[in-house]
Amino acid sequence: MDSAQLTAFTQTLAQGLLTGGLYALIGTGLSLIFGVMKVINFAHGDFLAIGMFITLALFRAFHLDPYLSLLVAAPVGFALGYAIQRFVLARLGDRLSEASMLATLGLGLIISNTLLLTFGAQPQNINVPYAIQTVQLGGVQLSIPLIVAGLGTLASIGGLNYLLYRTELGRAIRATAQNPLGAELQGVKTTNIQAIVFGLGVAFAAIAGVLLMPLLYAFPTVGENYTTKAFIVTVLGGLGNLPGAVVGGLVLGGIESLGAFYISNNYRDAYGLVAFLLVLLLKPEGLFGKTVKRV
Amino acid sequence: MRHTATLTALVLLTASVSAQAQSTIKIGAITSVTGRFAEFGKMQLAGFKVGVAEVNRKGGVLGKKLELVIEDNASDVNKGLAGAERLVNAGVPIVINEYSSSLVKAQAQYLARQKVPNLVVASSGDDITKPGSDYIFRLNQPATEYARVILNIFRDNKFKSMAIIAGTGAFEKSVADAAQTIAKEYGIQVMDDQRYDKGLTDFRPVLNRIKAKNPDGILMVSYAEDSVALMRQAREVGVKPRLFAGGAAGFALPDFVKDAGTAAENVVTATAWIPQLRYPGTQKLNVELKAALGGADPSYHAAQAYAGVLVAAEAVRRAGSADREKVKTALNALTMQTAYGPIVFKDYDGFRNQNPLAMIAQQVQGGAFVPVYPKTVIPKAIKFER
Repeated sequence: MDSAQLTAFTQTLAQGLLTGGLYALIGTGLSLIFGVMKVINFAHGDFLAIGMFITLALFRAFHLDPYLSLLVAAPVGFALGYAIQRFVLARLGDRLSEASMLATLGLGLIISNTLLLTFGAQPQNINVPYAIQTVQLGGVQLSIPLIVAGLGTLASIGGLNYLLYRTELGRAIRATAQNPLGAELQGVKTTNIQAIVFGLGVAFAAIAGVLLMPLLYAFPTVGENYTTKAFIVTVLGGLGNLPGAVVGGLVLGGIESLGAFYISNNYRDAYGLVAFLLVLLLKPEGLFGKTVKRV
Repeated sequence: MRHTATLTALVLLTASVSAQAQSTIKIGAITSVTGRFAEFGKMQLAGFKVGVAEVNRKGGVLGKKLELVIEDNASDVNKGLAGAERLVNAGVPIVINEYSSSLVKAQAQYLARQKVPNLVVASSGDDITKPGSDYIFRLNQPATEYARVILNIFRDNKFKSMAIIAGTGAFEKSVADAAQTIAKEYGIQVMDDQRYDKGLTDFRPVLNRIKAKNPDGILMVSYAEDSVALMRQAREVGVKPRLFAGGAAGFALPDFVKDAGTAAENVVTATAWIPQLRYPGTQKLNVELKAALGGADPSYHAAQAYAGVLVAAEAVRRAGSADREKVKTALNALTMQTAYGPIVFKDYDGFRNQNPLAMIAQQVQGGAFVPVYPKTVIPKAIKFER
């Protein structure tokens, strides 16, 4: 491997891991929701699309810097998630899990079609001056928005960890995840906790959308692909396992990039799916099995 | 249907208020007024409007006013076929056929089976006129020409190697395949040829790979959103060929320069028509199209639609009647000069009834497109990346 090749390899791997960080952020939200409520949120990618379009709309209307949109997108995402759990999913009661699956699928359709009617089908970009700015790290060239996305992921996941393990609310969330009835008996208002958890999960998706916007273009069905990615990430790491989702995201990002680099870009999505199937086949409980403590 | 009626009324109104149904010559047109290709449809409607106005100002066709019956295919192949069927039943002598290769091909084949001459004005997939049909005529350049103009620039500047990144759609594939063939002919080594499916958003691994191979030129063929993503990521990974080139489509749109910003600087792209061309009437056409678009700059699609109306009207005039067979014969023998370029339908290189017209290349310099090739456009000097 000559030096040009080595630089290309390192650069590809670094970019893959940073992209993987975003997958991790999306996957963490999905995993959190599953860990507490055993609901798979099929509208997860559509919440990411909402984050992207909020950024787009604020940029178009007020020329607001995309990263400042976080201050709007994250609370909006949280409120939306809170309301959906409280007024839609909680009302499904103790019915079969198919009910929540269909409900989230339906919500996803409503969201993507609302975006379609509001913003149109064409892909839309925002052009910020730092979109193509880069930093050089020992021959490896990385884009600023991609690094910001990586840092945003770190901060979000770090914040979530603090919330879960260092606060009273976190204790209530963990208790609800372990045993809803027990938590209820101890005075935890589980309906409220569940709504907060759904809100957090959706806020994470919206944050990922904001971080993606300077890197990518938005269109109403952009979320579909990311729902799949989030699902792969959580299965790789074990459903409901938060550290697992982070590692799963990084693994997926790395596999995709290196596969595209060495084999062909055409099968990019296939590399992740192959890893997904292998894990399901050989270690159905996820890469980290039950040895890692769940939420 | 109501939509069609309104549109027809609109065109009629602009063409002539007094025109009566009995005293007009009706020709058909199919375009995407709605749906995902509506942006191009808007350009074509403007071109139609300017074309019809010009024909009628000069006395119409066979002593009658020209009327264009426009069917909206809603960017959908089935609706396009239904529209084509309505035009066949309406008895129009010729149909002007529009933009997206996948729609146009189906419409053209149906019309050919019904023995209705149809004039393709904007769709560029090679397979529309190759092998083609006796009833399918195309006045715009086929995909091969999109590749040729770029490869000509590469050859003229002594490029030894190149890489290709292209989508897997009909148009992108046509251009990329043609580039492979022409590169072989010109002795340029193709170091990498990456095709990608629609929906891919991360081109970094491919660009990293190409960066390591360091080719003289990179040819990219993609639609609008991808062209912006490609150029941003190319700058981001730091790949530096002597020239980045785009095969029209997304790269030729004004939005590309707007959305990609500084990342678009120095990118060369093929295009079918620009106002700087020195054909008689080109300047005037640009002014009229701009007026029809309410002040917006026309793209080449508008000029193509305009030329389509003129050619169709001329064919009916020379045929001396609205008889479909006579119009077809007239098209075969037709030569004329339009503001879009010279029009003649020839059989060559496996193409049938194809207008052999060359493409133009333009480069983004200082945030705007300037013509750089061929000599007939009084080109500016090409700026190289290195």
